[in-house]
Formats: sequence, C-alpha cells, structure tokens
Amino acid sequence: MTTTSITRDVYYPYAPERVWQALTNSVAIEKWLMPNDFEPRLGHHFTFRTNPMPAMGFDGICHCEVTVFEPTTTLAYTWNGGKLRSLVTYHLEPEGEGTRLKFEHGGFDLSDPAQEGAYRGMQGWNQALDVSLRREIEALATTQG
Amino acid sequence: MSDDAQAEVFGAIAHPMRRRILDLLAECERPVNDIARHFGVSRPAVSQHLRILLDAGLVAETRHGRERRYRLTPEPLAQVNDWLTHYERFWDDHLRRLAQHLATDSEEHS
Repeated sequence: MTTTSITRDVYYPYAPERVWQALTNSVAIEKWLMPNDFEPRLGHHFTFRTNPMPAMGFDGICHCEVTVFEPTTTLAYTWNGGKLRSLVTYHLEPEGEGTRLKFEHGGFDLSDPAQEGAYRGMQGWNQALDVSLRREIEALATTQG
Repeated sequence: MSDDAQAEVFGAIAHPMRRRILDLLAECERPVNDIARHFGVSRPAVSQHLRILLDAGLVAETRHGRERRYRLTPEPLAQVNDWLTHYERFWDDHLRRLAQHLATDSEEHS
C-alpha cells in the first residue's frame, strides 16, 4: 500500500560520518533546517520552531520525537505540527567518496488515536482516491499553474 | 479560504466512505439512491455524508424533476495538493541548504 509521502534521493560528496554530523548536531541542524533543541538519542522529544502558517493551521512549532537512531545510517523523527502527523526519515549509504541520502517525509501514523481525523483523511487520501478523482485534482493543479 | 473552511474540507475527506463517494461522483453525477446502492448502505447514511460534503463545498446538488443529483466540485481539494507542494518546496530548499552547509563545514575543517 502506498502512502502520501515526499521522497528525495540526493548525493553529497562527503563521507556518511560528516553528513550524519550535519543531521544530528543541533547547531548544524539550525544552519540548514530550523532552530531546534534536538539531542542525538533515541526517544528524545524536541521541537523545531519556524514561521507560523495560519492557512495551514500551523502555529510554527513542530513537535518531534527521535524514533530511529542508528549512527551514520538511519535517523528518523516524528514531525507533528498543526494538523500534520508525520515521520521524517534520513537513510545514508556510502557511495564512492560520498554519501547517498534517501530522504522521506511520510509514514503517517494511523495507529495514534490522538491524531486529528482531519489529517488522517489526508494521509489516506492518495491511496484512497481512485483514478478518476485523482485526474480531477491533477487537472486542477494544471489549470492553477 | 478561511481556516474553518479548510478544516471542513479536511474533515470531509477524513472519512473513508466520503472519499469513496467523491470517487464515485468523479465519474458522473448521481442521485442518492444510486450511491446507496453502489455501496450497499442505507439512503440516510449516504445523505448524512453528502450533507458534510455539501457543506465543505466538495459536492453540489441539482434538481432533476423530483430527483436531486449530486456531482463532484473538486476545487476545495486543491488545498490538499497545495500542502504537498508546500512541503516538497520546503525540503528541496533545505536539502540544498544541507549541501551548502556541508561544503562550508568542510572548508572550515580543511
């Protein structure tokens, strides 16, 4: 079953240890992502702080918990803000002199009863809609540029 | 679109049956009976879901003699798409910044 998720595959010409450092050091994370109180350990709860987006029902605070912490290989944390209940995963693989990053923002947790039904709908929307409706939406996206 | 209106759209598509109704109406407009028969559920149950979809602006009704037919008006769904697009841009931007950070960082180390 597919879920709605954003995936990216990026090569960085630096060793996995260096990329891992950028992903797991609070000061480094602030430089490329957002201000945070991340700590490099499994189960740590932290937040990202950014600009509120009222249109998205987002107050600017993203609540996270480290759910996978396997040094130089895999880092995952929940990413909960506004109506959104999601998971961000970074998977690193050495490639030549550098590192291949497999990034995913998805993995919406349907088992969490506390999460808002509204978002549950959105998580499931892509897999639940059939071709005809998806075509409608794609047509909309096209006309709106 | 206001936050309330937006919450209504997300609330409307939160229910699997309502998503299935939307799917069905994406093919063509239909009366309640037709929808109820399609899913093997009662007419009142379908009417209740249709009310929520109507309120969210995802469905419109038209009268054909004694019959009311329902059709999909998908415009409000665009914001679901906007959300994904927003996050795609967000990550493209920040993963690029990560590359820049790594480059700067390695200059500092060398």
